[in-house]
Amino acid sequence: MSAFFGPLDSEGRVPPQQQTRVAAFLVSAHAALARRFAVALPLKMESAWQTELNGQLYSEAEIVSLLMRSTSWVPDFALAYMAAWWETCWLPAPVEGIADHSLALAVDLATLAHAIHAGIRPAALLPLKANANDPFVMALRRVEFESGRLLQAQIMFLKGEPLVPFRDAVSAALERRHAELRKVWREMLQSVGISADDQN
Amino acid sequence: MSFLSHGPYRIRYELDGPADAPAYVLVNGLTQYAELWAAYRDALIARQFRVATFDLLGQGESDKPALFISQDDQVAALHCLIGELGEGPVFLSGISFGGLIALRYAIAHGERLAGLVPMSCFAELPPQLFLLGNALRTGLILGGTSYLQDLLLPMNVSDEWLRPVLNKLDSVKHQGWLVNDVYALQNLMESFLDFQPLTPKLPSIGVPTMILNGEFDFLTPRALHETLRVQIPNSSLVIIPRAYHAFTLEKPALTADLLARFADDVLAGRWKGNKTVWIAPEEVGGDLMPFPAGYDHLRAIPVKGGAV
Repeated sequence: MSAFFGPLDSEGRVPPQQQTRVAAFLVSAHAALARRFAVALPLKMESAWQTELNGQLYSEAEIVSLLMRSTSWVPDFALAYMAAWWETCWLPAPVEGIADHSLALAVDLATLAHAIHAGIRPAALLPLKANANDPFVMALRRVEFESGRLLQAQIMFLKGEPLVPFRDAVSAALERRHAELRKVWREMLQSVGISADDQN
Repeated sequence: MSFLSHGPYRIRYELDGPADAPAYVLVNGLTQYAELWAAYRDALIARQFRVATFDLLGQGESDKPALFISQDDQVAALHCLIGELGEGPVFLSGISFGGLIALRYAIAHGERLAGLVPMSCFAELPPQLFLLGNALRTGLILGGTSYLQDLLLPMNVSDEWLRPVLNKLDSVKHQGWLVNDVYALQNLMESFLDFQPLTPKLPSIGVPTMILNGEFDFLTPRALHETLRVQIPNSSLVIIPRAYHAFTLEKPALTADLLARFADDVLAGRWKGNKTVWIAPEEVGGDLMPFPAGYDHLRAIPVKGGAV
């Protein structure tokens, strides 16, 4: 089992089966974030930080749109079951140690977004010989690059002054989200012949 | 692949060489990973040393705490690793960020060390380094690991090293990009947000200390190493000719030879620090030269007088 996509075809493209499953996972994860950002965003903004929420919503929508259009989709009968399982992983989870319900929900959303943006590195699956002009290859690089920038909002929030009294609770919730996400990401990759042992 | 436990986290490490030999522990720089010491493993094992390499928390194959990595945790992890080495002599060396962790270790657990070699190192964040660090962090945030590598490479190695790899830089950078994650590097950089200068604690380092500084290192220039030389009682400063900040990557044979000679001298009782200043040879096995008497080693032009 390789740590990378492959074998690539003669034009350096990723096998469609791998494209389909990895893109489906990413669409599921980023669409879940888009939905939760949309619910959290008020019609009329009242705080400056909500402008960032608006940006995050549309960046997630862009990632979904990009993957939908750049992937060489093929029929994958296991996807229905797998996608249903993935969707359960994005559901809100309780954050122990934070009594304020709305703050706990915000922390939970930020931990999920942090885990997806920081822990999932789709471009790291691309072999050096992958065709840089292939739309799927370009899309994965863009998703990873944009994730690194989107992540900054979660870092600022989770490390921010208002959460200092809850630092242990926040760190525990975040480590748990990262561990859960690593597990489903690794399982999905193994299902298409990619070993994720080298990915932290 | 071996792992140590530090709290909930795993530290990936490797021990090579004879188990009963004096040990060298090598600590990575910020964007590095343990495999970059491969040439040192070979060279030091050939000189009858045991060699320990590892990935710091947040690096390579070690666990990457999601939100915070404290430098105290790095020292504690290093202490776990040194605990694996038994009772024999331990020499500790680290480059740049790893040099800082090595200094912290020597301050906290100096009694466990036979010798210390900080390389391209610093104990303070004066304005230039502080602002450079901030700019590098912003580069990482805006452009990702690849952009950070693009900034560091030309700063830290010479034209002679870069010229032959210019048309394959992507493959040169690929492994470092692969094993380092943006959030983890950012956490390592942000471990400096509450940084307090180590300078007042440096005099407590009682072990023989050889400070290595590249002649052309402008990320951590001579003045930062001079602080170490002046404050650490049994130290000497060795300037590596024509070397930049990352001379451990560019001159592994020469640097490994200097490490081995230092440890041999310490073990044989020949080492005398005396806060002296030396110029390393350009080739392996050459003689170290005392910095010319009467000239200022902090200047880039031959000015009489100064701090020697």
